[in-house]
Amino acid sequence: MSQRVIEINTVVESIPDVKIVKPFVQSKIDIEGCVTVFVEGLEQPLEFNVTIHPQYPFKSHETETIKFSNDDLIEHKHIMQNGAICIHTAHTPVLSQKLIYDIESVKAWIKKYYINKESDNHYEHLIVPQKAFNENHFVYFFNEVDYTFHKNQFGFVDYSIMNNGVFHKESIQSSIFQSFLSKDRKKIIDVDWNFQLKNLPKSTGLFIFVKDAPSKNQRWVFDEWKDFEAILPQDFLKFLHNVQERLVKKEAKLLPLFVGYNISETEIHWQAIILEIGNFPIYGEKINKQWFTKISEVKSIDWAMTRNCSYRYFFGRGKLSDRITESKILIIGIGAIGSIVAKTLVRCGCRKLGFIEYDVKEPENVCRSEYSFFTGITNKTNDLLNELCLVSPFFEPVNGGYDYSEAFDFFIKSHLADTSIKAEMKKHLDNYDIIIDCSTDNDLLYVLSQLNINSTLLNLSISNHAKHLVCATEHNRYEFITSQFGGNILKFDVDDLHNPTGCWSPTFKASYNDINVLVQTAIKQINLKLEQEKTLRNFVIETDDMGGFNIKIKEF
Amino acid sequence: MDKNKHLDSVISTHQITKEEILFDKYVKKKNEVKEALEEQYGSNIYTPFNSGSYAKNTAINTKFDFDLVTPFKRNAFGSNGTLKEMYEDVYDFLYEKYKDVAVVKKQKVSIGLEFYADSDGDVIKIDVVPGRELSQDQYKEDENLNLYVYYKYGNIDAGSERIKTNVKAQINNIKDRATTEKDSIRKIIRLLKVWKNSKYNYPTKSFFLELITIKSFDSKCITGSIWDKLETVLEYIRDNVTKEDFTLKDPGNSSNDLADTLTSTEKQQLSDDMKNMLDRIEDNDENLKTYFPENSKFKKEDTNNNQYGKNSGMPIPPPKLIFG
Repeated sequence: MSQRVIEINTVVESIPDVKIVKPFVQSKIDIEGCVTVFVEGLEQPLEFNVTIHPQYPFKSHETETIKFSNDDLIEHKHIMQNGAICIHTAHTPVLSQKLIYDIESVKAWIKKYYINKESDNHYEHLIVPQKAFNENHFVYFFNEVDYTFHKNQFGFVDYSIMNNGVFHKESIQSSIFQSFLSKDRKKIIDVDWNFQLKNLPKSTGLFIFVKDAPSKNQRWVFDEWKDFEAILPQDFLKFLHNVQERLVKKEAKLLPLFVGYNISETEIHWQAIILEIGNFPIYGEKINKQWFTKISEVKSIDWAMTRNCSYRYFFGRGKLSDRITESKILIIGIGAIGSIVAKTLVRCGCRKLGFIEYDVKEPENVCRSEYSFFTGITNKTNDLLNELCLVSPFFEPVNGGYDYSEAFDFFIKSHLADTSIKAEMKKHLDNYDIIIDCSTDNDLLYVLSQLNINSTLLNLSISNHAKHLVCATEHNRYEFITSQFGGNILKFDVDDLHNPTGCWSPTFKASYNDINVLVQTAIKQINLKLEQEKTLRNFVIETDDMGGFNIKIKEF
Repeated sequence: MDKNKHLDSVISTHQITKEEILFDKYVKKKNEVKEALEEQYGSNIYTPFNSGSYAKNTAINTKFDFDLVTPFKRNAFGSNGTLKEMYEDVYDFLYEKYKDVAVVKKQKVSIGLEFYADSDGDVIKIDVVPGRELSQDQYKEDENLNLYVYYKYGNIDAGSERIKTNVKAQINNIKDRATTEKDSIRKIIRLLKVWKNSKYNYPTKSFFLELITIKSFDSKCITGSIWDKLETVLEYIRDNVTKEDFTLKDPGNSSNDLADTLTSTEKQQLSDDMKNMLDRIEDNDENLKTYFPENSKFKKEDTNNNQYGKNSGMPIPPPKLIFG
């Protein structure tokens, strides 16, 4: 017996209220044994088969490498399909200490979920087996819709394939719901996504809203079709039959069936089942001279994966303040700073975003902005639009594009003396809640400062080597920015500029990292101020490389 | 950088006498409104008067404060007439009279008239402050008035029936101090107004800044150069305005506390702004120009303010140094 096995037996035996029923022994890979655990409140101790993997006491892929299983407990909360208790304990590299932690955790589970039968506040999804269908996984993303389904409502779902990827060692196809249609294919409601997703080619699936979770014990989803027997109404089964008849030429092709149910009073969750045309789990039976559609008794269900990708789930882990995300935003200038700002805003929950830029993306722009090499030379406005559509299904481009950018520059700069056009421009810009000028165009800065725009207007610019970022938020923006960069206040290298070969216009030297650290700090400062409902003030972010990196926000 | 030289230039470029033509337009427009009110309200009104910064000798030429106080007789709106009725009546009158030539809007205690730009592009703004004497003929004795608060004014709730004050006493108090201490109090008030004007729609009223300047001079020994004095006043505001027991007595009525015209958030913002200002000026004197800009219209041009290309013998345009 190895020292490790001896130690495990010794430690487990010494833990109060734990008895070894079957001593731990080394199997081919794991160490296995059986114990009983007693907790006050139990009539008898509970028995668990214990499996200890070689990585123990370390976790593997964020999962504990010890399993406590008892098939009789499978209907209780926080038990996995293999009957093992779901536990997460503190890290320790010491085996004996980890065993103590883990058994304490088992005791806590017994007390909370076995004896007291406590319920958790947050909803726990049904456990759906992640099995491939013909070596392919399928996942379907849905969004909440402003529509109330009624029990046993069924029909078609249009969906679009987004991507074919790899899921561990198998392939996976990701798709999105596009719209719900009635059984005679009249549109019930569209599912909202960004315009590029909405333009994807569509395929057809089916749906039924069953209202209650398709589960026997609120833990695991049904595993066989017969479990649905008492749930699926005859007219839906007939619908399935008719669909299959109509699609007879597409035999062996796959068709997803989405099963919807309430997980709260207001929230619906959809599960997906893969059906194979020509092999639906139904058959016809004549009863009293009438045909009925019946469910095949011995056929297991091929569940696919689904994900709720509605806004609150998609941005559930973190976003900017509502004061920013609920705003309609215009970004002027989408070079290094502007593209980083745009992508950050969209990644942080902003939806309505427009941008103005007449420049085209060159390969040398890629290293310090949010553009990709792959798309080659193209208008920055077009390229960024694509990039942002890839990031967020909720991105809604407002005005923008090359023609708009050209018209904007012409009108705003050519008609400053014309009070009515000036007023029109002001009115147009006031349609935006926030305008972020990253153009570093001093002429535009001057013109904007003459307009008294009611929107929150922010100007962002940086100095050579990204030593400073200047953010103007106040009415005196023109004077503030020109004085900061005027030579007497901010000190930075004015000679060591990047002169691209064959190009007449020198640019600043700074990497994506240099620029991004400043831009993210600025967005953090702006977000914090707005979240705390404080008035925005001009600020300068100063960095210093002496004795390590230092960064400081100086508010004016 | 010589801070005192710059501040002197800020004051001189903001002198009201430098904008004589515009100032005359203001006076003319103010007189027109005054006459219209007198004509409309006849014997129900005492003579309206200007209570703005010009009257207090603290005006600057980038923002003329023309406040036209309109003292009504006690029964001008009937013996049971309310201050709200007074306020609404004056608003209705001004709206009907000026709606085609000006934006007429209800403000905290006044009614704002913003006349559309004339052929020179000048926009004239006059605030009409309706007030009513407390009892019949009492105004003639002591010049006390009740003002109506239209919308929340700091900690003073909207619809508050009255702020009792003596506007003439307010004017005289500030005018006397500003005139007798013109190298200190008057200059500091003007500088603070230049600063406030650069902030655009700052919640602190000019009257608040006038009173807090006087209070800081009364509370501390403030001497030295103009910068020394300004710095001490800024420090005083920074350190005191958020104190719980901080008060600013209205010279028109000692039971009014002007500190109540700001919410605690606004007071904190004012204190933070003073702190940031002092810190940034300490970081670099040049930042003083951001907070206290000269009026560029009357600034003597510095012919060699471009440090790039200096002494090169040949003029070199400044390079683009702002990037994004």
